[in-house]
Amino acid sequence: MDASQVSQITDMMYALRNPAGLPSYPIIFIGLSVLTFALHILFVQLMLGTSVITLIGAFSQNTYWRRLGAAMLEVAKVSVSVAIVIGVAPLLFVQVVYDPHWYTSNVLSADWVIGFIIFLILGYWAMYYYYFVNNANQDKSATPKARWSMLLSLALMLLVGFIMHSLTSQILHPELWKSWYMQKNGMVDYTGDKLHEWNLWRYAFFISLSIPVAGGMLVTYRRFKSVRSDADHAYLNWAAEVGKKWIKVGSIISTVLYVGWMMTLPETAGNFATSFWGILGGVMVLFYALWAQIRLNGEAKFCSYMALPMALVIGLVVAISREMLRYDILNGFFHYNFWDYKIEFDWYSTGLFFLTFAIVGGIVLSYFLTIAWKAGQTVGVYTPSAFVNRLGTLSIWIVVLWVVQFFVVGFYVWAR
Amino acid sequence: MDLISLYPTWYEPTVGSGWVVAFIATFHVLASHTSVGAALLFAYLSHKAYREDREDLLDFIKKYGLFLLVFTYVAGSITGPGIWYSTTVASPNGIGALIHSFVWKWATEWVFFVIEVVGVYMIVYLVGKVDKRTHMKISVIFGVASLATMLIIVGILSFMMVPGKEAWFQQGGYLNGFYGENTFIQLAMRMAFMFTMTAVVGGIVVAGIKDPAFKKEMARKLGWLGIISTIIGAAMFQLYLKAVPDQALLVMENRLPSYFEPSIIAVLAGTLAYFILTMLRPQVLVQAFAGGMAVVILVAGLWPEETARESMRKPWVAGQYVYSNQVIGRDVPGMGIKSQIPLLEKEGILKAHPFTPKDLRTVNDGNVVQAGKFIAMVYCSNCHSPSKTGIRPLHRYIPDNITEARMEKYVKGVLTTGNIAYMPKMPMLDSEVKALSTFLVMNRKGGEKAVDAAIRQEIEARQQAKLAEKAKNKIAALTQENN
Repeated sequence: MDASQVSQITDMMYALRNPAGLPSYPIIFIGLSVLTFALHILFVQLMLGTSVITLIGAFSQNTYWRRLGAAMLEVAKVSVSVAIVIGVAPLLFVQVVYDPHWYTSNVLSADWVIGFIIFLILGYWAMYYYYFVNNANQDKSATPKARWSMLLSLALMLLVGFIMHSLTSQILHPELWKSWYMQKNGMVDYTGDKLHEWNLWRYAFFISLSIPVAGGMLVTYRRFKSVRSDADHAYLNWAAEVGKKWIKVGSIISTVLYVGWMMTLPETAGNFATSFWGILGGVMVLFYALWAQIRLNGEAKFCSYMALPMALVIGLVVAISREMLRYDILNGFFHYNFWDYKIEFDWYSTGLFFLTFAIVGGIVLSYFLTIAWKAGQTVGVYTPSAFVNRLGTLSIWIVVLWVVQFFVVGFYVWAR
Repeated sequence: MDLISLYPTWYEPTVGSGWVVAFIATFHVLASHTSVGAALLFAYLSHKAYREDREDLLDFIKKYGLFLLVFTYVAGSITGPGIWYSTTVASPNGIGALIHSFVWKWATEWVFFVIEVVGVYMIVYLVGKVDKRTHMKISVIFGVASLATMLIIVGILSFMMVPGKEAWFQQGGYLNGFYGENTFIQLAMRMAFMFTMTAVVGGIVVAGIKDPAFKKEMARKLGWLGIISTIIGAAMFQLYLKAVPDQALLVMENRLPSYFEPSIIAVLAGTLAYFILTMLRPQVLVQAFAGGMAVVILVAGLWPEETARESMRKPWVAGQYVYSNQVIGRDVPGMGIKSQIPLLEKEGILKAHPFTPKDLRTVNDGNVVQAGKFIAMVYCSNCHSPSKTGIRPLHRYIPDNITEARMEKYVKGVLTTGNIAYMPKMPMLDSEVKALSTFLVMNRKGGEKAVDAAIRQEIEARQQAKLAEKAKNKIAALTQENN
């Protein structure tokens, strides 16, 4: 590609920017995008990993695996919901700063974008179908029914993951967008029926992280359930051992796939594979295995609870590496710099978000998660302490206050 | 290079991209409105269960909550971003305009989504595992958080029709764009219909209650909720029509099918009759009947209402400055946004579009049909499908005996000048007018097959010309070498 071709591509990307600009500094959106992507992908991996455990349990004759499969189905179910709801945030932020890239990539594969919605709903419903068919049976060691639906669910989840991977990969190839808009016979391709770009190493890397993340979940599961008076310690210890193994083996597999991804980066990425962020991403994944080997010995009362937060930290570093790769290609090679996006600063909406995020989100979720945590560890009915009760009352007042400010500000603006 | 922010076009020939958005959006509205209404109903019922120490109400919440979890939260939480996905591919500049003005509002809504999702699991799975007081508190938080999501999204939806205040065009600012008469009236209308949907969908769960006395109690509660909310919703709809721009009313009078008004009245009357029937005779409430009513409300009530709102925005798709064909048709000084019309008038659509193929940037005898089709795809296909089926097919608007000269006169006199109130102004160079007219006439007379055959011929001819040129150059080079 010569300089004039690159320059044409740069002009095209800048022309596609939304003229309304941004209501805050672009780096804030990039930061939130990376952070929320790390959270999103953690729950995606948790959902995939626990789905695999559910399937192993479904096809195994081993009683422990059967019980574990049933227990992990509960985690998978919630993880899909959480992954979807958290995934809304990076989806929002990517189209704020990288709108030329995201929109073009989506339109060029529009049928798959619509397919994504349908496949995801079907995959989720298939998981629920498996749950409803088997939930009524109190004997969790019995052979589950409708195993096909759980297999179907996992297959559809992998498919939607692949679609998303492809859409993200297409962002990185602005030099090919125009050619993807043409059919080989010279006709313009308005159909959007093709996925144009993917990197199987990269896809396999992100999917493979489900193994260590699920391992982290098993270690946490043992620790969480072990305080219950009705805990079966032999079963829980077995689950934790499986978890440790999955963290170690899974991290090594993921590291190999990461290296494969780095070795197959497009030329436009330059020397990213051997750059600081290129190397750090892989090192951090390998570090998870090392951490598990050193810190998860014996009961590991504290570190067992740290297994998933550790996975999140590692995921965050990988998310930063992924973002740096995008920046290196789009800015380093194609001179598209998100830093110079036009800003129409809006203090009110910026401030309202951060206040809502910190105060409303912080307090209400603290209350919710405390209740969920305590109820999960209690045999029978959980009655919260006076402090937790006050936290609940405070949460109610805070959400009500938020609604009140919505109307007060709104009526003032309307009447002004 | 003078380019404008136009993306490739996605063309769905069977129903049209507009209908794809409408299907997903309508489904999402049913799911999300039902969820928000149910969340507020749960808050009330959970409070009652705590005050009166009643297990049956909590059991009802658990059953209705589980039903909602599977059918509306799963589908609703996916079709929500699904609307983003579908509008991204059908109307990237429309959604881009909303995203760039209201990103923080959506991010704020996201905080409440997270609370909602965690909350719905807790409401369903913690019945009997936490004391009633705690369950009541969770339900109240869940209800108010759900309401907050609706408050936020209605402001954004209102902006799609018209910015909250006229001052937004001159001063910009999120508050001017978000809050206005339309926002509050639409909010009241949606909240009312939200409870109607909650009452209808709740009927499916009530149908499954075994205890006749409890079934009667719940049928009455939902019946009253449904009757009051339907009446308020209908009144709000009348008020809403006074809060839309005159242009929207003009479109409504001229473009909506004649059956629209009577069908809406019939649906409202039918809904009221249904609630009265289920209150008087709860035994008729069986799951198939209640499920059928939910579908009727969706198909006969929600669908026309949502599509009418969509049609009334024409020729705009967002904020009265982004045309339905994605071109920015108006200056917005408050946001530093410039109309793209002057550039299109100067350069033409083919040169200004970043994705115009190299061979089509200038119209000539060798590409006139293909260039015409490209222009139609960019300017027309969002609202008029060039196929036989799909959304308002182009061929239906063109007489079958039309000549190219007559077509050109129409395109130049009406479309390029923006003389139809509900259609965007579509600037074109004379050569582009000719190309579009050639395509429209060929599409009318021979359909897509004839157009594609003509384009294939053009491509073949261009390729042959290129080969001939190449050969000529080679011969010239060899001759020069020999000399």
